[in-house]
Amino acid sequence: MKTVKTLVSSIAYACLLASSVSSIALAAECSGTIRVLAQPRDGLTLLEDYKDEFAKLSGGASFEIDYLNENDRRAKTKADASTIGKYNVYYVDEANIALFASSGWVVPLTDYYPSEYDYADFDPGRQKVATYDGKVWFAPITGGGDLMVYRKDLLEAAGIKPPTTLDELKVAVKALHQPDKGIYGIALRGQRGSGANVWRWMPYFKGFGGEWFDGSTPKFNSEAAVKATETYLDLFQYSAPGTKTGGWDESTGAFTSGQVAILIESTPLVGMAIDPKSSQVAGKVGYLPPPTPLTGGGYGHGLAIGTKANADDASKACAGLFIAWATSKENEQRRLEANQFSELNRTSIMTSETFAKLYGPDLGQALADTGKVTAVNFWQSPLWPDLGDRWGIILEELIAGSRTDIKDGLNELEGFAKDLVARSQ
Amino acid sequence: MKTRNSLPAVFLAPPLAILAVLAFVPTAYAIYISFRNRELSRPDGSFVGLQNYLDLFSDRRFLNAVGVSLTWEVVTVTLTLVVAIGLGILLFEFASSRMRAVMTLLFLVPVILPRVSAAFVWKFAFHPLYGIVTYPYKAITGQPLDLLSSPATALMTVALVDVWQWGLFFAVIVLKLLETLPPQPFEAARLDHARSFEIYAYIAIPMLKAPLISLAFIKMIESLRAFDLIYVMTRGGPGIATETLDMYAFSQGFIESGRISYASSMAVLMMVATTVIFTVIWKRVKP
Repeated sequence: MKTVKTLVSSIAYACLLASSVSSIALAAECSGTIRVLAQPRDGLTLLEDYKDEFAKLSGGASFEIDYLNENDRRAKTKADASTIGKYNVYYVDEANIALFASSGWVVPLTDYYPSEYDYADFDPGRQKVATYDGKVWFAPITGGGDLMVYRKDLLEAAGIKPPTTLDELKVAVKALHQPDKGIYGIALRGQRGSGANVWRWMPYFKGFGGEWFDGSTPKFNSEAAVKATETYLDLFQYSAPGTKTGGWDESTGAFTSGQVAILIESTPLVGMAIDPKSSQVAGKVGYLPPPTPLTGGGYGHGLAIGTKANADDASKACAGLFIAWATSKENEQRRLEANQFSELNRTSIMTSETFAKLYGPDLGQALADTGKVTAVNFWQSPLWPDLGDRWGIILEELIAGSRTDIKDGLNELEGFAKDLVARSQ
Repeated sequence: MKTRNSLPAVFLAPPLAILAVLAFVPTAYAIYISFRNRELSRPDGSFVGLQNYLDLFSDRRFLNAVGVSLTWEVVTVTLTLVVAIGLGILLFEFASSRMRAVMTLLFLVPVILPRVSAAFVWKFAFHPLYGIVTYPYKAITGQPLDLLSSPATALMTVALVDVWQWGLFFAVIVLKLLETLPPQPFEAARLDHARSFEIYAYIAIPMLKAPLISLAFIKMIESLRAFDLIYVMTRGGPGIATETLDMYAFSQGFIESGRISYASSMAVLMMVATTVIFTVIWKRVKP
């Protein structure tokens, strides 16, 4: 019976794939190489095994993906899109999509995204961050919010319940911090950048009621920002060594190597932490939404169609087809089968039986719970990367101790923000 | 006869033309846009005269970057030459010819390594939890040593890597220079009971003054191009403790603001300053 079921589902799956392929193939007449500038993602690497499938689907086109780490990818995409425009597809994110869209460096995605690929199936939160000025600009390749991941064994040994409030978190982090035994209470991000230290600081800022702007008037120089910074610096006393100038890699690396008790990070961390191939603490990990009142940092990264390299509609359609294929249900199913948790974005996949079987009901519940506190923490403006990066430098100075006056740092940022807004008008 | 005279021009003209296009066009364009307020996101910049240059002098990050760049130049050039001369003399004085050959080969390895690879290797070596360099300190004191996260030690730590790459390479050059010197002045000094230190301080090094000055200039120019090393190891941090002028210009142009006119004004100022400073130094120390 099971064999028959498998056979039937395989035939159905093949028919679905064949029908979508044939309908698109009729329309698509692409050739040459679609050039993609991205940051390393297992899901994108996996695509490279299926180049022949895309060639068949597109009528002969191939693709080439260049990878750069997050900060370098941001710098290079900005430089390329604003000058020569060598890449047909850019990897963009929630923080720079407003800049790319308002500068005309990318085109609205849904104009060239074949309807058969069902854009509406993407997680609604990720659709939201991919939307700017009422238009959809990218198809998600990763995204989500925050989760608090903790070492069950360490908390149990210390008789500490998983913290659900910020006050409880502070107490737990302090109690679990045992550097002489190679265990650190928490790991934070100190490295400068709107997507680095500022990203992890923002849940405190928004959680304390902070706001970035009211129209074009800066509002962030407030009690909430001071309190958020004090709290962040206070917690940094218990952060693992190397994180003062470290980002995602250093924090998650310290946790998965068994040196951190509690970590609040973006949801892909869970996939890494519970996978024995990438984690020495797999099997000892619990997860919950971030403690109250912290908000989760809602984010989404994805692929967008470059304007300059795709001079005509046909090129844009080919780039759109590549993006649709790369983020299709079929490819996402392959990512699920390859245990690439952080690369899953479609509701149909995340609510599937395979997902539940692979990751268990607890993670599904934690993801659903954290979805309720996930928010857009950053200022949704083309000017955000500039402002966020400047605050990242000041924050890194405060963390490293080369500056100590928080209020003075915020005053400097406010002056910078006023200049920034004036320059843009 | 006429044909023979024009032959050098025929060969020289194409490469000079290519060089002129490659060198002068970007320079001229950088100067041109430094007088505008062009940003990557807004191609419609306008002429602003010297405003970008004036703004630089009230920009604390620019002033900090000038200080960091000067410190970087002085520290790396001085340490590289000290290490090169010291090791070169030690090898010349104490190593057998076979040992010299082996050491020469080993000393060449660091400079052959691509800068970015060297930076990554040393970044891990200095990691407070897993680093091989910091491990002994952690083993003895029980405390991690985070050299790259401290504003007091970050620049010097990166400078050590630069000196490791270039100091060892220059040591090989110094050794080879010492081997070319005539032996008679050394023999005469020894007959006069001069000590080894005196022989090198008063005879060998003065005899090598011209090539050593050339090495110093090569290192000065090379140190100006340390962007990749610093970028990989610290990204200019912690805070702005290791942010050199070229790194700040790149940040303003491409990482943070996209203010390419402002970044160009920094590049132009740096070009003018280095040309003037190098010319003055060259004229003063010319052997």
